[in-house]
Formats: sequence, C-alpha cells, structure tokens
Amino acid sequence: MTGFYIVFLFLVLGMLIVAVTLLLSRLLQPRKREKDKFIPYECGIVPEGEAWIQFNNRFYVIALIFIIFDVEVLFLFPWAVVFDTMGMVAFVEMMIFIAILLVGLAYVWAKGDLNWVKPKPRLAHLAKKKGE
Amino acid sequence: MIQLESYLIISAIVFVLGIFTILYKKNAVGILMGVELILNSVNLNFIAFARYIDTYINGQLVAIFIIILAASEAAVALAIILNMYRDRRSVDVTKMDEMKN
Amino acid sequence: MNNLNSLQYFLPELFLSASILIIIIVDLLLKKDKKIITAYLSVLAVLVAFFLAYRQYNYAFTSLFEGMIVLDSFAVYFKVLTALSTIIVIFISMPAFRRHSEYYILLLVVTLGMFLMVEVNDLLMIIIAMEMVGIISYVLAGFNKFNMKSNEASLKYVLYGAASTGVMAFGFSYIYGLTGHTNLFAIQQAIVGHSLQPLPVFIAFVMVVAGLGYKIAMVPFHFWVPDVYEGAPTPITAFLSVGPKAAGIALFIRFLITVVAHPASQTTFIQNVQIQAPLLLAVLAVVTMTLGNVSALGQKNIKRMLGYSAIAHVGYMMMALVVFNTRGFTAIMFYMVVYMFMNFGAFWVVQSMTPHLGSEDISAYKGLGYRHPLTAVAMAVFMLSLTGIPPFAGFIGKVYLFAAIIKQNWYTLAVIGVINGVISLYYYAYVIKVMFLDRDEEIKAISVPLYDRVLLWLLLIPVLALGVYWGPLIDLAHNSIGFFFGN
Repeated sequence: MTGFYIVFLFLVLGMLIVAVTLLLSRLLQPRKREKDKFIPYECGIVPEGEAWIQFNNRFYVIALIFIIFDVEVLFLFPWAVVFDTMGMVAFVEMMIFIAILLVGLAYVWAKGDLNWVKPKPRLAHLAKKKGE
Repeated sequence: MIQLESYLIISAIVFVLGIFTILYKKNAVGILMGVELILNSVNLNFIAFARYIDTYINGQLVAIFIIILAASEAAVALAIILNMYRDRRSVDVTKMDEMKN
Repeated sequence: MNNLNSLQYFLPELFLSASILIIIIVDLLLKKDKKIITAYLSVLAVLVAFFLAYRQYNYAFTSLFEGMIVLDSFAVYFKVLTALSTIIVIFISMPAFRRHSEYYILLLVVTLGMFLMVEVNDLLMIIIAMEMVGIISYVLAGFNKFNMKSNEASLKYVLYGAASTGVMAFGFSYIYGLTGHTNLFAIQQAIVGHSLQPLPVFIAFVMVVAGLGYKIAMVPFHFWVPDVYEGAPTPITAFLSVGPKAAGIALFIRFLITVVAHPASQTTFIQNVQIQAPLLLAVLAVVTMTLGNVSALGQKNIKRMLGYSAIAHVGYMMMALVVFNTRGFTAIMFYMVVYMFMNFGAFWVVQSMTPHLGSEDISAYKGLGYRHPLTAVAMAVFMLSLTGIPPFAGFIGKVYLFAAIIKQNWYTLAVIGVINGVISLYYYAYVIKVMFLDRDEEIKAISVPLYDRVLLWLLLIPVLALGVYWGPLIDLAHNSIGFFFGN
C-alpha cells in the first residue's frame, strides 16, 4: 500500500476539482426554463421522430459474423501464454484452428454475406455463366 | 484480501437476477440477456473457485470456453430472433402461440 | 494419455471434423441443382465414422487428452447408435431437402457433438459437447425459414435451451467449487474422501439434473418438447427424439456412475452426500411417463402426439435408471436401439405421407389402410411396438426394463409403468383405428415411390426381427456396460 498514496491523493484531488467546478457553474449560471431546452441534443439539429428507429437488418447479420470471429480470438491468449513451452506442437494446433475458422470465413464470403447489399451467391452465378 | 464468499454472493445475486429476467421478460432479446447474466455468474464462480480452491487453473479454462459458448449461442439465438422478426414483425414471446391446442 | 498420443484413438471424431470441413468447401463449389451430392457425401462420411467407431469396440478402457475424454465400449456402443441414427435421418430427409445442402452439414456437426457427448469425462467437455449438439439443433429446428411454426419452434428451443444450459453450468461451478476438480473421476474421489455439506451438493445435483433432463426431455423440463416437435421439420423431430436423446441418456448414465456412484461397489449411490438419488429418479420417472402419456391422449396433430409419447418413453427408460445396476443399464441401452427403429419408422410414415394426405392431423389418416395398405400396416406395427405389444421389438424392450426394476423390488414403480402402458395403448390404437376402421366412400389409392417403400421396409424389418431374435443385441449391450462394474 505504501506507493499508492499518491494515486489516492490524485483520485481525491481529481474528484474535488470536478465537484468544485460543477458547483461553481451551478451557482453562477442563469437558469431559464424553456421548452427547447428539454429536447434531446442531436448535434444541434432539431430531432425528428422517435429514438426507437428501425435499423437495417444487415447491421445485425454483419455484427453476428463479426462477433463469432472476434470471440474466437480469445483462444489465442492462453495459446500465447504456453507457446514458449510447447513450441512447434502449439503452432501447428493453432494453425489448424485458424484454418477451420478460415473455412467459415470462406463460406460466409461465398454466400455473399460480407457485402452490404447481399448479391446473388457468387459461385453459383459463375457456374451458371460457364455451364450454360 | 477479498474473501471467496463475496464472489459467491455476487455471482448468486447475478444468477438469480438472470433467472428473474428470463421468467419476466416478454422480449426475446431480453430473455437472451438473462441467459448471458446466468453464464456470467457461472464464469465468476469458476474463476473465483480457480483462484481460491483449485491448485491448477482448470476453472479459468472453463470460463474461457463458456465465454465463447455464450457468444456463439447468442449469435445463433439472435439469428433465429431476426428470422422470427422478419416473419412476424414482433419479438414478443407471449405472442408466440401458433401451436397451442 | 497426452494429447498427441490420444489422436490415434480419436479417429472417428477426427475423420468427421475433416469431412465436415471438406464437405463445406465442396458444397460451395456445387451447382444449385447438384446440391444433393452433399447429402450423399454426408452419408458416406457418417458411414466411415460409423465403421471407425465400431472398430474401437474392443479397445481397452483408455483415458484420452489428459482425462478429458474416455474411450470405452459404453461410449462406442452409443457412438455407433448415434451414427446410425444420423444415417437414417439423412435418408429420411433426402426427398424433402434436395436443395438445402447446409442441412446435411449441420447434421454431421450434431453427430460429432453426440460422439463427444457419449465419451466426455470432464465438466468442461460436458458443457462443450452439449452445446455443440444443442446450438446446431436450434438451427435445425428452425430450418424451414419461412414457416412460422418452424421459426417459433426454434425460438422456443433456443431460449429454453440456453437457460437450461446456464443453470446446468451453474451447478457444475458449485461442483467444481466443492471438490476443486473438473475431472469426473477426481470429483468422485473428492466426494468420497471428504465429508461435504449436503445442501450445496444437493443444489448442484438438482441443477445438473435440470440441464441433463432438459436434453432428454424429462418432466419437469419437458415444456419445450411439444411445440418444438410439432414445429420442426419432421426428419428433425425424429432425429431430436432419438439421436441427441440417446447421447443425453448416455451422458446422464455416465455422470451418475462416475460421480454419484460409490467407487467400491459402483452399484450404490454415495452415502455421505445424502442425496436420495434413487427415490428422486423414481419420482421423476413416474411423473415423466404419466404426464407424457396423459397429455398425448387428446392430441390431434400426429407429430405433437409422437412428441408427448417421446416424453413417456424417456420416463420408461428412466425407470430402469432407478435400480442403478448392470441389468437396468443394459435394458436402457437395448430399449434405445429398439426405440430408434420404431420411432424413426413412425416419423418416416408421417414424413412420406404428409404430401399425400395434405395434413399432419391424425384425422387425415382416415382410411389409409385402404388407400395404401403397406404403409398403414407398417404404421400399425410401429404403433403397437411403441405401445409394447408382442411380438414386436418394443415389447421385448419393455420386458427388459420392467424385469430390471422388479428384480430390485420396485413393485409400485412397475405397476405405475404398466398402467402407463395401458394408457398409451389408447392413443396409439386410435391411430390404427382411424387408419383401418374409418373409411371414406370412395377410396383414392396413393402411389408411393420405390424409395419410400424401400426405406419403410428397412425400418420395419428391425422392429419385426428384434421382436423375435434379440439375443445378440442384448449381449452386445450387456458387454458394453460391463466395464463400469469391473468385468
């Protein structure tokens, strides 16, 4: 605990300064209740409609794809910890793991789910052109 | 030093909150949030036990895997909810009564 | 055994994983009208995995991947069974799913998950394997994307399923906290070696039973079953009631034997945690079969009726779990095989007849005995076999189940089981009555393709054959369970 009193001091000081400034501005500011003041602030533009608007479905789909590949990275952390002691075996194992993920990515790509406007599945399209 | 009990109490509270969320939410996404709460309470338990009781770190490994399972489960569940929404324009589980006899 | 050496004992799973990846790539390159090739490749992959698993049968008990997985004949028995169920379900699905090749890949992934489920020996692996089966099943239940019922089924399935997995994992976390281990053997030793607080052990036990009970559709964790079974595509309904359920029961048995059983005798439950496990299981079995049968009585939709009857059959199997000895487990393992054939048979009739009859209602089967006699007779055999009427396979299965509990003097349980059998006769026989006794004025004959008829025979023959000659299978089941009790 010895070295931490400076941190504690900073913490207290920081809080104090914030509190004092807020209090000062509160005391000094002129207060007039106007209707416009209670509208939610949207970069200065008058807001239109409700906040509960519909998002495009594609956001969800792309977020879903992202989250799967994002979370898989979690496995890389324990791997990195033991990499030194395990050496080549660990390397090969992780390469296999990533290769499996790449198959998933290839699937998503070929199905056209990475594009914002979902096209016709590309491979089927090509096959049709070539074959007929 | 924080006692093991503190972690267990917190995780038990989170678990119960999760159960209540599942039971009382009408929105399918809300229920999913309850599930996430439960899984996080499980993680907290596993990590706390790994720190205080286990001589190895098995609990931490379990926690990592549960995080990943939770993510994949949420991904699948959200995809299904999305599909439901396209059909029905609603994610209210109390309105799902296509098959009541 | 360490990780690298374990790989040689892990061939079926490795082969399945590799073939899943290859089939995904091949599937992407196939043209739209050739997608059925994926189904053929999937059958081939499962067949090879089936034989690889079968070759492991005579291996001695081996503990793989630092004790994460154990390979024993019990696991191999269920691996072969689940692989067989996947093969059958692919054949059932082929006429309906000609374009949707992802369907078959997902089935392969479930198969891999079931393989893992029957050989797990670690809390972590239990969670992973169950989720692997579960998550893919959620997708499969909602595979008919534009069918409202299918959507609703999969949404209900995913929400209930996720919640029950969470509860089970919470139970596991307490077990881990109480014992300090995730390996099932180590947990057993810790439970025996120390005197633990009974209350937390009981809570953890109940939570784990809730999670596993959900998987095998045991009352009071069955509420998802009717809706999911009705809404899901028929082949998937059939699959869910056999494959994952068999894997779930295998996992349940393994968990009970390696954790709650006493290591010295292995036929009694551990005493020092004071769980009234046999009584608890007996009550659950009674409630499960009674509720399943009584709810099935008034059903109009045949898939929903079969869903409730599936709950009842879990009840029958759990009945034999109560006695907790070789005889009981053998009976369960035998019954699972019999149940697979008769249940798949019934669902195949539903699947192949629905386009002709235009409805899944039982009333639509009116006069089927005159419109297509073979199908109707086969359906009658499946129904009678499900009831447990001799000389069909279901009867032999039930005899073994009841014999196991009567040997241990569970007379009340047996009587309730028999009463349930009588109740079930009512709704099974109702289908037969509709098919043969009710008839329209004019008989519109149905022409059934050769493929449908061949598959029907392939499912019908085992039901008939196991009804008269069941010796080898019961021996196989008996040998597979043997290792648990040291012979």
